[in-house]
Amino acid sequence: MNTLWRKAIRDFWHERARTALVVLAIALGISAFAAVLSSYAILTRELDLGYLATNPASAVIRVDTVDDDLVRAILQNPEVSDAEPRRTISGQIKAGPVQWRNLILFVVHDYGNIRVSRLVPESGAWPPANGEILIERDAFQVAKAKIGDAVKVKTANGVEQPLVISGSVHDVGQAQARMENIVYGYINLATLVQLGEDPKLNQLNILVAQNRFDEEHIKRVIANVENVIKSRGHQVLRTEVPRPGKHPHSDLMGILLLAMSSFGLFVLVLSGILVINLLTAMMASQVRQIGVMKAIGGTRWQIARIYFGQALFLGIAAVIVSVPLGIIGSRALCRYMAYFLNFDINSFAVPLWVYVLVALVGIAAPLIAAAIPVLRGAGVPVRVALSNFGLSRTTFGASAFDRALTRIGGTFSLIVLALRNSFRRRVRLALTLLTLSAGGLFFMLALNVRASMINTLDHMFAERKFDLSVSFANPYELEKIERAVSNTPGITRAEGWFITEGSLTNRFSVVSLPADTQLLDPEIIEGRNLAPGDTDAIVVNNALAGREPKMRVGETVVLRIADAESTWHVVGIAREAFSPAVAYIPLSFMQQLYPGRVNSLRLALMNNDWDAISVVRTDLDRNLEQVGVRARSSASTSESRFAFDEHMLMIYVFLIVMSAIIGGVGGLGLMTTMSLNVFERRREMGIMRSLGATPRVVWLMIVAEGVAIGVLSWTIAALLAWPISKVLGNLLVRVIFRSGLDFTFEPLALLIWMLVSIGLSGLASFLPAWRASRATVREALAYE
Amino acid sequence: MISLHQVSKTYETPAGKFAALKSINLNIEAGQFVGIVGKSGSGKSTLLNMVAGIDRPSSGSVAVAGTEIHGLSENKLALWRGRNVGFVFQFFQLLPTLTAAENVMLPMDFAKVLPFRERRKRAVDLLERVAVGAQADKLPATLSGGEQQRVAIARALANQPSLVLADEPTGNLDSVTARAILDLFRDMADQGTTVVIATHEADIARVIDRRIEISDGTLVNQ
Repeated sequence: MNTLWRKAIRDFWHERARTALVVLAIALGISAFAAVLSSYAILTRELDLGYLATNPASAVIRVDTVDDDLVRAILQNPEVSDAEPRRTISGQIKAGPVQWRNLILFVVHDYGNIRVSRLVPESGAWPPANGEILIERDAFQVAKAKIGDAVKVKTANGVEQPLVISGSVHDVGQAQARMENIVYGYINLATLVQLGEDPKLNQLNILVAQNRFDEEHIKRVIANVENVIKSRGHQVLRTEVPRPGKHPHSDLMGILLLAMSSFGLFVLVLSGILVINLLTAMMASQVRQIGVMKAIGGTRWQIARIYFGQALFLGIAAVIVSVPLGIIGSRALCRYMAYFLNFDINSFAVPLWVYVLVALVGIAAPLIAAAIPVLRGAGVPVRVALSNFGLSRTTFGASAFDRALTRIGGTFSLIVLALRNSFRRRVRLALTLLTLSAGGLFFMLALNVRASMINTLDHMFAERKFDLSVSFANPYELEKIERAVSNTPGITRAEGWFITEGSLTNRFSVVSLPADTQLLDPEIIEGRNLAPGDTDAIVVNNALAGREPKMRVGETVVLRIADAESTWHVVGIAREAFSPAVAYIPLSFMQQLYPGRVNSLRLALMNNDWDAISVVRTDLDRNLEQVGVRARSSASTSESRFAFDEHMLMIYVFLIVMSAIIGGVGGLGLMTTMSLNVFERRREMGIMRSLGATPRVVWLMIVAEGVAIGVLSWTIAALLAWPISKVLGNLLVRVIFRSGLDFTFEPLALLIWMLVSIGLSGLASFLPAWRASRATVREALAYE
Repeated sequence: MISLHQVSKTYETPAGKFAALKSINLNIEAGQFVGIVGKSGSGKSTLLNMVAGIDRPSSGSVAVAGTEIHGLSENKLALWRGRNVGFVFQFFQLLPTLTAAENVMLPMDFAKVLPFRERRKRAVDLLERVAVGAQADKLPATLSGGEQQRVAIARALANQPSLVLADEPTGNLDSVTARAILDLFRDMADQGTTVVIATHEADIARVIDRRIEISDGTLVNQ
């Protein structure tokens, strides 16, 4: 090893305390990056592997009824590998005295021979016997039941029947029960008959033979299958072609991981700033050595190599520290995501490319950050380097800003001195402020986005003037429903609506409601709302307007609603955050098709607390049964709100963790800065001490300087928080939910971050201050 | 060996222009031991810097061993210095994190004239020549001033330069040590190395071949 490398290593060791801080800061950045990158590799692999292991259907076709002849006919198509009949029906489930919960029942013909969209038995019985039901593992919390419990189940057309929960299964392809607030149950055909339903299957899970991941190919094959079904006199009710080979939530997870990766890189950039600060200070303190090396024949590049070598050591040390940390973080993140998305991780093995990329980024980041200070320091002319000025020839007091600072405070005081001191190294101060302010900014962004999401949801739910909605499996006479409602205490207003599906280029929900409805007050952003007397007017929400270019106010569109084409005039666009595509039409249209009937009920209640809603639900359910009306499902507005809040929770947690890590990097940055500031001013402190300053005064002066920087960073973050939170929050929510945000500023964030930044800066400057105050006057004066 | 023709050097300072050297003409023969004498601020360090290529003249030309160094780039100058010039400073300027031997090896690592394996041996030989061989593996902080300056002289000789320049090499040493250091320079000159030292030591006449006096940037006595 030549002397240049030896110098690099020994200087690195000589500055070990400060170096350790910088290594820690870089390691934080790389750890975050490594954790997210490993998680990305593990989760995308495991999610899709787990999903593919179930042999997911290429398409699901709902028909009127499936028989063996139909299945055989479909399987004659060589492009179809398998076709497995099933049935999915809605119902309700009740465990013990708790209220009815919404249920989706999957009926499987032969549990011993599930070939497509396989279920994974978790515990208890398999397959379910007659009179037994299996529950999806994530749905136990919703059902508030456990294996062995007796439950009551009722379907739309059947009778209420007791069943026993005999086991749990994992259905990888389903949306999480907790978030959807729904129970997934699995029964056999005999149990379906016990529930009073016809023993028929009406769903075909189709698997194509070749090109399973080619969506266009699948669509072509499925079109042929549909023709076969129709040619045999069956009806095709709906066809769904999911994204081939992709778990339904892989996109959401991808977006989240992308956001996290961006954040990891951002933290890495911030920690790179600490490298700039450290190496600038190191170059400044070694400028005379640089001059000597140049005088004895060292070229700029040879000298730069020493300091690049130190940056390389910083990177290597940080990578060594951060890889295990990143792996630990990645496992925690993977477990959380797996729990959140309800899938299993069979292997946490991190692929080699992740290690290589992390090492490359971890080593390259400090080298890139070092480029400017090193090239600048190594390029200083030898005569200048050998002079007394070196890189620190700028003296305080030369600029107008310095002179302006001297007017602050008027007479000398500790605070004024601390403030002036903090401005002595402007570039270092700016870089430190950048990291600290970024931490504050992210923290405020997190709280502002959270407050804005709550605000948006508040607005969204404020438009819904109903507390409870009830869906029926079939259209029922409104008169009967109204009779049941009038016999149910606690209801202040009820409206019968008709919910169906419509299509233009894609399918969307159609809500047919009284034109003078009192239970929905949408925010119209263009045009007008439905009005009494409207017959062919349609109001679409922003999600539908965004998806269908023809849905513009003033346009006439031909839609397929209730299996018939009809012409509609778009009169308004309603803003509905976090909503799927929905169109609103007058109830009179559906009444022409189903005179006097509705399939949905909206209710405003006297009290909308959970207990009151539960009582109304139970009473109404009983009264509806008495008039021969069977509710398919019901959902309170509070439950819907809860589901939204659950979805948002992950974003809040992500933002808060981000701000904590960035705040940590900022704190380490400030600690490095204060340590360098104190180191460079040791002689000056010796002079102060010789003039009578006590160690406590020196200590206070340094802590005050750190706090001044903390307060300054808070001010910058506070000034930027509003515009940046608004832009970034909107962007984040738009990417994840394809919906805008009703922005609101969270004043509490300002107060909390002020306390945090003062605490953090006080803490960061405590150690350098303590060490400086302990140095003897002789030691301090002896420092050159 | 050294030829300065009409060399002037003017610095821009906040207080205005300052002429450190004024139309200097100077020739120094190879193997001479030359002392540049003058008060503080007279321009002797600037003159030495011109010869070493550490500083560039505002006007005029500098040629050392046949090379017009005033026209070389910073990097070429550094390479040239490494192979042709040894430099000794007043405050020794050893690198604090390198041992004595490593300090001596540093110019060899820069110049890469000597094969890597031979560098340590040569460094130790040089340290023995200046009577600090026993200190080879010690860090500068553990050496006395005289020992540090001896190491610095050994470092100056690392690449067998034809020219050794020394700026106040005894300014920070006691008189006994200073005398010993000057003797070392004398030995170098006797072995054919051109030695130029800037000093304000009164007793330098004992060892030098030629005395050049400088005052206010002008040579007053060659």
